[in-house]
Amino acid sequence: MTGLRFLQLDVFADRPGTGNGLAVIIDGRRFDTATMQAIANWTNLSETTFVLPPTLPQASYRVRIFTPKSELPFAGHPSVGTAHAVLESGWAQAVDGRLLQECVAGLLPIKVHGELAGRTISVRAPRARQLDWPADSAPLLEQAFVGCRLADVPPALVSNGPAWWCVQLADEASVRAMTPRLPQLAALTRATEAVGVAVFARGDSDDPMLVVRAFCPADGIPEDPVTGSANAAIAAHLLRSGALAGLGRRYWVSQGREVGRDGRIDIEIDSDDEVWIGGRTQTVISGTLAWS
Amino acid sequence: MRLRPFAHIDVFAGRPGTGNPLAVVLDAEGLSAEQMQSIAAWTNVVETTFLLPPSTAEASYRVRIFTPRHEIPFAGHPSLGSAQAWLESGGKINEDDELIQECGAGLLPIHVEDREGVRRLFFRTPAVQSLRTATDSEPGLAAAVSGVELGALPPALVEAGRRWWLVELASEASLRALQPDLDAIAQWSRLSDSMGMCVFARCHDQPYQLAVRAFAPAFGISEDPASGAANATIAAWLRHAGALHAVGEEYSVSQGREIGRDARIDLRVRPNGAIWVGGETQTVVRGTIAW
Repeated sequence: MTGLRFLQLDVFADRPGTGNGLAVIIDGRRFDTATMQAIANWTNLSETTFVLPPTLPQASYRVRIFTPKSELPFAGHPSVGTAHAVLESGWAQAVDGRLLQECVAGLLPIKVHGELAGRTISVRAPRARQLDWPADSAPLLEQAFVGCRLADVPPALVSNGPAWWCVQLADEASVRAMTPRLPQLAALTRATEAVGVAVFARGDSDDPMLVVRAFCPADGIPEDPVTGSANAAIAAHLLRSGALAGLGRRYWVSQGREVGRDGRIDIEIDSDDEVWIGGRTQTVISGTLAWS
Repeated sequence: MRLRPFAHIDVFAGRPGTGNPLAVVLDAEGLSAEQMQSIAAWTNVVETTFLLPPSTAEASYRVRIFTPRHEIPFAGHPSLGSAQAWLESGGKINEDDELIQECGAGLLPIHVEDREGVRRLFFRTPAVQSLRTATDSEPGLAAAVSGVELGALPPALVEAGRRWWLVELASEASLRALQPDLDAIAQWSRLSDSMGMCVFARCHDQPYQLAVRAFAPAFGISEDPASGAANATIAAWLRHAGALHAVGEEYSVSQGREIGRDARIDLRVRPNGAIWVGGETQTVVRGTIAW
């Protein structure tokens, strides 16, 4: 059996090892769903994607996204990384700086800026909506944030597919130094059917402009290194709460330093109030996959 | 940025995805220990190895082995996968069908066996350092094996490199159906300063002669998909107890099905008592790494 193209990428990374890993297989036509799931389980990365020919004429390519345990309709860093992979391998070309990705969640536009090592890719996040606080949220939040200096803005539960608690802390130091109370955070997310808790604060010197950390202990991920959907939820929350003043509709985020990474995410809120999440991708491993 | 050859290998696997994975960076010269650790954390594979030129003439290559958290001097499956990657990159075996791996634990021979078109690699396991059967009132045992259908041999604590409690079960069916009490096993393992509990059962009318499951909850491993060292202690125990004839001096083990794998581990017990553990490897990804 001939090998398929295999790429292991680092997404939201200015250099190898600083972002969020992703495996991309081009293409996935010869695999059934069970085999894709087995490969994703074997790579042991947070996500593995399979590129496929599009089924809709306007789409540039189709992608299926798997965690080691299940298939996802959409996810941010796998979309950014997969777009990088199809461009890198020549599988699809951007037209006027755009790609249209077909995934289980539908058609999603992707913007491509620059070329090769300087290329940044951003994907439009599904539109977010703010959810009402479920009953008992207040005491669970209080328990989860004992000893933390919260900002003077109430936490929000924001869904853009997954639901995230977005909790603003007083300053950058409060975010960086936070020791997450994982059992209490897990209790909060379980009780409120949220995927995780994202904390954030303005950067001290606007370099970065925002600092973020994301905790998903109920999902077995104490802290996620770089999280597209959490950052999209925070951007929607900032827009809705009027807190963008002083930050602007384009800003960049630092996430992951507390877990040995150093991810950079570029956020753009366009004139239609849509949130775009993007960044650079490093091709770390490039080769072929043999699976039969 | 320098591109180095890279392989992602499945060890103890008759086909991809069934064994224990390993990432290998070949030509790792020039990488610092910090960079190696960063790569091992980033790949998120149980172990990542780095091949280097040997520092002594008798060695084929030198290897450094990293988990996502720290460097370890030796482990079985990373040694087999590293040897496979080295052979695929053009390495040659000696007249005894061996190569010599230099690692943190010293020089280690790896035997290459080619039979009927199937290549298997074997490493020699440490000799048995201690062996005893459980006492009548062994602390922790009763809770750990509560409700378990025991087999012919009594539970035994065997140390060969690592120390495991070995518990024979009555049948393959009872082994496959076993729902381990991980809290009780963790407690038993702490009381006896051992890795944990390894259960095994003799099998009939199967392409393998023994089925094995290994639980090391005190070390954060609820169940291991393929255990080289643990299987070596079982072979030593069978030989010591005069039960080796039931499986043969060359036998195969099935392990890992209960956690979604299907590893096959091969044992070779030599007349002098030396135990070699090995199996097939599958190279799933071949390519380069830029770091």
